[in-house]
Order: sequence, then C-alpha cells, then structure tokens
Amino acid sequence: MKICAILRVVPDLVEDIEINEEELIPFAYIANERDEHAVEEALILKEKAGGTVDVLGVVDEDTAGDIDDALAMAYAKGADNLIKAILSRKTYRRYEVAKALAGFLKDKNYDVIIPGIQAIDAFAGTLGGMLARCMRIPYIGGAIEIEAQDGALSVKKELGGGLLGEYRVSLPAVVGVVSAERPLKFVPFARLKKAMKEAKVEEVDVEVPEVEGVKVTRYYEPPKPEITLLEGEPEEIADKLVEVLREVSVL
Amino acid sequence: MDISEMFETYFERLSEVAESEKYKQCLQCGTCGGSCPYGIASPFTPRKMILALRAKLIDEVLESGAQWLCTSCYTCSYRCPSQIPLTDAIIPALRELSLLEGNPPEELAAALMNTARYGNPFRESPRKRDSWVKEVEFEVPLISKKGDVDVLFIPECFGAYHRRCREITKALAELMYLIGIDFAILGNEERCIGDLTRLSGEFGLFEDLMEKNIKTFEKYSFNRIVTHDAHAFNALRREYPKAGFEKDVLHHTQLLYENLDKLKDMFNELDYTVTYHDSCYVGRRNGIFEEPREVIKAIPGVKFVEMKRTRENALCCGGGGGGVWLDSFIRNYLKERPAEDRVKEAASVGANVIVTPCILDVPMFEDALKMTGLEGELVVKDISELVLEAIKG
Repeated sequence: MKICAILRVVPDLVEDIEINEEELIPFAYIANERDEHAVEEALILKEKAGGTVDVLGVVDEDTAGDIDDALAMAYAKGADNLIKAILSRKTYRRYEVAKALAGFLKDKNYDVIIPGIQAIDAFAGTLGGMLARCMRIPYIGGAIEIEAQDGALSVKKELGGGLLGEYRVSLPAVVGVVSAERPLKFVPFARLKKAMKEAKVEEVDVEVPEVEGVKVTRYYEPPKPEITLLEGEPEEIADKLVEVLREVSVL
Repeated sequence: MDISEMFETYFERLSEVAESEKYKQCLQCGTCGGSCPYGIASPFTPRKMILALRAKLIDEVLESGAQWLCTSCYTCSYRCPSQIPLTDAIIPALRELSLLEGNPPEELAAALMNTARYGNPFRESPRKRDSWVKEVEFEVPLISKKGDVDVLFIPECFGAYHRRCREITKALAELMYLIGIDFAILGNEERCIGDLTRLSGEFGLFEDLMEKNIKTFEKYSFNRIVTHDAHAFNALRREYPKAGFEKDVLHHTQLLYENLDKLKDMFNELDYTVTYHDSCYVGRRNGIFEEPREVIKAIPGVKFVEMKRTRENALCCGGGGGGVWLDSFIRNYLKERPAEDRVKEAASVGANVIVTPCILDVPMFEDALKMTGLEGELVVKDISELVLEAIKG
C-alpha cells in the first residue's frame, strides 16, 4: 500500500506569540499534533498492510526550515520518504491551497493520503475534504483506526456523543485522523539526532495562485476577561460566590 | 529488535556506564529485592532481573514493566555484597531498551520529549526559566552581567518551574542574600542537568544536556556550584566530571552548614518537633548525613526526632529516577506509595514538621499527606525554608 501522511507546523504555544494588526510572529514552530497522529497512524497501517509511507511536509516559504525536526522524527519512526512542499502563497483561501496540493499529489499514485483532521492555527479542518474533492476521491474524517481490507479500507470514525462508526472506504482515499490508535511512539534523542543527519528531504515548490475573496483585515488578542478574586474566610467566600452566581442568573 | 540485538545493545550500554562483567558476580542472595521499596510488587526484582539476563529472557523482563518499578533510591546498590551497579547501569540500560522499542510509560515519555525540546520536563518556555526572580524583593544577579562570582546557583527544573518548589528556590536565594554569599544564576541559559533522564535510560539526551551545560559553565568564572536539587547535585558531582567538568559542587545543606555560625546569630526560636528525611541522593548516595542535622539542631526551640529508617536505611520518597513521572504506571502495581509510608512513619515518631534536603520530596510528601489524611498534622519543609523561617521568626 502506498501511503502519504501530511505534516504541517503550527506556532508553538509554549512560547509567546508576538502579534500586531498585520501579522502574527511566533517565536517557534512545532509539528501540528493531529498531523503527528496522522503520521503515526500511517506507520501503523504500513505495519499492518505493508507498503511505504511518504511524509509530505507542508510549509510556507518563511517556515520552510521549521519542519525539518518533525520530518526527521517521522523518518526515525520508520517513514520511507520525506517530501517538503513549500507553498508560495499569499491567499487565505484554503481551497486554493488544497487545489495546489492536489495538483502535486495527483500523479503520485498514493492509495491513501492521511492528514490530521485539523491544525491549531486553522480550525476549519477543511484540508482533507477539499483535497479529496480536488482529487475526485473519497474522504472520511474523524478516523481513529484504519485497517486494510480486501483492497479497500475499514475505518473507525469518532461520532458525536461518544459513539463510533465503522466505514468501508474504497481506494484511493483521503482519511483525516483525530488520533492514532496507539500513543505516539517515543524516539530516543540519539536516534532522532541520527535521523536528522541521515534523512534526505526532497523539496518541491508548490505554486498557490493569489485569489481575491478573503483577506486579513487585522489580527488581535481578545479582550482579557475581568477577574475578581473572592477573599475572606471560606464561609464569607461561599456567600459572595452565591451572590455572584445569582447576579449572573446561574442560581 | 530481536533478542540478540537487545542483548548486544544492552551490554554495549552496560560497558559504557559501568563494569559490564559485574553482574556475573551476582550471588542471587536477594538483598536487593528485600531492600527495594517496590520489591514486594515487582515481577522482576533486581536479583530476578539478573537471573533473567543470564537465562536470556530479557524480553520477559521488558514485557513485565519491572524496569520502570525502580525509584533509583540506590538501596539495592548500596547493600549489594557484590557491588553490582544496579541503579546506575543494570536498570537504566534495561529502560533504554524500552525507549528504543518506543513504548515507555506515557508521562515519562512526555517529560523526556519536553526535556529534549525545551530543556525542562514541564513543557515550559526556556525563556521563562528565571521568572521566579521577579517574585523576590532582593536582586538575584545573572552571571552574564555580574562576572566573577563565588557561587553559581543552579535551581534546576523543579526549582525553576514547579509552583511549590519555586518557593524553596526563593527561600534558598534569600538565605544566600542574607548570609552575604557572592552568588549568581545562569538565568535562561540554564537547562536541565539531566540526572533523571540518565536514570530513565535516556543516555543520549543526558549526554547532550551534559555537553551543552558544560559549554555554558565554561563561559563564566565561578568557584563552585550550589544546588538544592539532589539529583542535579549527584549528576554534577558524579557524572559531569567524566565529561571533563572539574568545579566543586555543593549541596545546599553543605552550604548552610558551612555558614552555620553566621546563621546561629540570626536564628529565632521555633516551636516545632522536626524529623529529618535523608533523601537518597543526599544521604545514601553522597554521604551527607550530619550537616543537615547539625543545622536543624542549631535552631533554638526545635525538638529533633529521628524516624526509624534513617541515614543509609532511609526510605525513598518515590520521586527519583523518573519516579515522579511514573506515578500512574506504578499505581498499577502498588497500592501504597513509598511517600505515604514515609509520612506515616514521620507522624508515628511525633513529628509535626518533616524537613527534607531534596526538592522532589516536597511535592511527593505533600501529596502523600493528602492521601493519608495527615494534612494538618504534619507539614513538609525544605531545610532552607525551615532555616529562613527561623531567621524571620
């Protein structure tokens, strides 16, 4: 089975992010957690069904170097090929990004393409679905387990309310992963360092056309909520708390 | 990894960190298992691990999870009649195999990955490492600004980030300020010293941390290092010299003892019944028993009582060797944590304060007080907190 996992980087929220109206300036980037699970699930599927796992790192020109550690980590875990797609883009229309990626992926003959279902800097969660649409192949999101079954996939999907569904998906397909079926594999530091030295990354430039429609008017931090500390003896605090809850009609 | 690869990797590591042939001298006496805080619960005590190694059943040991049931308390190594390096080599090298297999307990894995990325296990920004200095009313100088100093103070990760342990860091810094010690910190240039990564079997990460830390130390001029982190003290004193680091390293109990005459003049009376917990890497591993006792006994009004298991025989708090990150894993094997056993012992000798010299003890024992219902009867203080209280009254 020829598998491709998609890996993106997002701002590392452990560090502060500088913000002004025109731009967000993260101090550091880190692999998108859902995509780390997508890579993990791709490797699990390879263990179960055989084949190869390519990891497609998707970055912008200004974050091109920030994905190298995450790609090396995927290599250390057993990925076969690493590709870095550097998007030249100004547009914020995700569809154009999906279309451009689909253009790159269409003749690669992957049986399964596995992105994480969303990235923390783009809650829309649309990449998988739009990618599948552009490639005219099926999409299923919310996956927590993937099995190969008679030339197709059996996918366990998380539904609302704690329910699960099992789906049969024909190949090729795009499968959006929520979390891999096992915790992310641990990679010792020495093995990661070795992978960083040995891993070969194929770089490709992917042109994303500029399209009018959506543009950023400003970035801003939401106003900080007002915090009132209730002070005094426990009984006093309890009385004050009841008063506050009454004021906001909770009681 | 197949079994022969496992053996090759295991003995390669063993020969790097200790005398790899030593395990052959095991008498199978069982002193180790009988001394181990987890001996009663572990499917493979150190004795049985060695038996399994001899029988080439290394995979069975790993599958059992026994390699993680070790708090690195050093009691087995201390008592072993054949002096087999159980704590520093036999067990960490087994742990390394689990790491290479990619499946250590999750909390520990997260702590190790965070340490590799951020230089601390808490997933905190390295740029906020010295944020505690903003919470004190005196100046804590940076060595990069102050230049030559006598003491380089290393708060280490718990002392820099852990909310409770930062109080200890601030207390010790204030004591150094009050005594007039010429000290400074590395600030945000400091990163994890790494003893818990070493004992967890993450040797590659430990070597990387050690190399980077030594490079940082070499940039500055100081006479000695002082730390209140027992594991940092151990690694700096015993492991870093193997990589060429040659400065004196003092545990804060030693620094306080060195300045006891000055401190005595500042002490006020405290009405406490105090017992002292000999933490593993201050006492048993590094032989510091008298200094902290002398400091505590010098405080007027303090009634000092000993627990039954003291000095070399003290019971571990369960936090060492990565144990602080293995709580939920160990809970699957053991009903009562060693820290719970220990606080009950302190209560049984009539103490109302447990004084410790190790920063890990404080959160471990405070949790144990909650679990045992002893909260309110006993309090836990680092020795620097007790000393500062005696000064401030």
